[in-house]
Amino acid sequence: MYDPLGNPPGGARPPSNTPQTPFGNPFYGASSGLIKGGLGAYGEKILGSSSEYVQSNISRYFSDPQYYFQVNDHYVRNKLKVVLFPFLHRGHWTRITEPVGGRLSYKPPIYDINAPDLYIPLMAFGTYVVLAGFSLGLQGKFTPEALNWLFMKGIVGWFLQVSLLKMSLFSLGGAEAPLLDIVAYAGYAFTGLCLAVFGRIILSYSYYFLMPWTCLCMGIFLVKTMKRVLFSEVRSFDSSRHHYLLLFIALAQFPLFIWLGNITLNWLF
Amino acid sequence: MSKDFNVPPVIFPTGGNPNTAPQRRLPTAPFQPPRSSNPSIPFMSFDIGSSPASTSFSTPQFTNISGTGSTNFDDEPPLLEELGINTKQIWHKTLSILNPFRVKPDLHEQADLSGPFLFLMAFGLFQLLAGKLHFGIILGWVTVASLFLYVVFNMLAGRNGNLDLYRCLSLIGYCMLPIVMLSAFALFVPQGGIVVFVLMGVFVMWSTRVCTGLLVELASYGDEHRGLVAYACFLIYMLFSLLVVF
Repeated sequence: MYDPLGNPPGGARPPSNTPQTPFGNPFYGASSGLIKGGLGAYGEKILGSSSEYVQSNISRYFSDPQYYFQVNDHYVRNKLKVVLFPFLHRGHWTRITEPVGGRLSYKPPIYDINAPDLYIPLMAFGTYVVLAGFSLGLQGKFTPEALNWLFMKGIVGWFLQVSLLKMSLFSLGGAEAPLLDIVAYAGYAFTGLCLAVFGRIILSYSYYFLMPWTCLCMGIFLVKTMKRVLFSEVRSFDSSRHHYLLLFIALAQFPLFIWLGNITLNWLF
Repeated sequence: MSKDFNVPPVIFPTGGNPNTAPQRRLPTAPFQPPRSSNPSIPFMSFDIGSSPASTSFSTPQFTNISGTGSTNFDDEPPLLEELGINTKQIWHKTLSILNPFRVKPDLHEQADLSGPFLFLMAFGLFQLLAGKLHFGIILGWVTVASLFLYVVFNMLAGRNGNLDLYRCLSLIGYCMLPIVMLSAFALFVPQGGIVVFVLMGVFVMWSTRVCTGLLVELASYGDEHRGLVAYACFLIYMLFSLLVVF
């Protein structure tokens, strides 16, 4: 009776007991202490081990989210330019490292235009949801439940992008890039999507020009970024496999953008 | 033809006249509750007109209601003060939101949720007048929007961000006033016309400006990220205005 995704065949009817809403990713606590403290206590109950063990594991997988929000106006403006027009970026793409406490760590986004941040992806996601609601409304099909479905669709799209990048890292043997870095890189796709949806609202034919353009730009941005990530994280350097994988990442942007950019009430198309 | 209705005369039982019974109390006028010297019967007087002065309002004393048999009836605070609803302060806060160009943060130092509750109920009622049943949606979206703003503001402000969730919810609720006005105006304006969109733009910018101003003034370390916080508020109010316009 239900399709494999577990949704009723109507597609646009959300379950009545879950308040799915456009904002609010409870994954990002108000401070990294919240995640470490909360998950540390919970982990102690389950594993029965000391909380330091769990906390050190948590910090291995979820690097401090505070780092990704050290942004300012200047960074946001320039990063948007880099994401939307990556071929105009004249400088290098590597992140600047600084020695902190004996280990090399990357400089925060205020000082380094190439560092990933989480503010832009979060805002771009919110803008995507609002613009999608706008476009639905102009088509006459707006209901608040439809907006909740669009939010879930966006979350699934973000997750697919993250898993694409993570799988490509895994297949090359280097799995040490922090998860939040990958989440940030994946979230930059929503900036291009917002541009395309905005263009569609203004003039419906501009969509057919803006969509391939933003796909291409996001592809180039991801290729250049992942090349640096692969170079720094992966031990063995196998040139041809790297290049095929990067090409695959760039080409996979097209179906993802087409799926997310098509704002209708259906789940798939 | 008329029928004769054999109506027996009504006889009031003597000795049971309620106004003369010394044991029972009835409120004679709304604002002058009789205060009997007999404290054994718990009867709350609805003393709406005597809310205390706004400047000296502190946290309400939660007196033990179940023990009114032993406390004196005269010592009980009025109902609204006990509930923490300070109507004068709500009114002043509402008036301060109405001016988008001058932000008065000292009025909003103390967060409360009764003003936002009133505004959200009014919002739901105006939407109901437009034929849309959105009470649950409004409740859910306000909760999640305040969580979103709480996370974004505290992360941006760094380790020193001291916005708490209660105050965030209170600010978002108070700055919802222009959106409530938008939903009221949208009832009289043709749907889908250009006027609605212009109004939407104006009221969303009003809400955003007031909310950003208050957030930056009330929570520390918000000032260098004014534009970033403003965009988050803009997204939130744009979302609610979508409910109104479409």
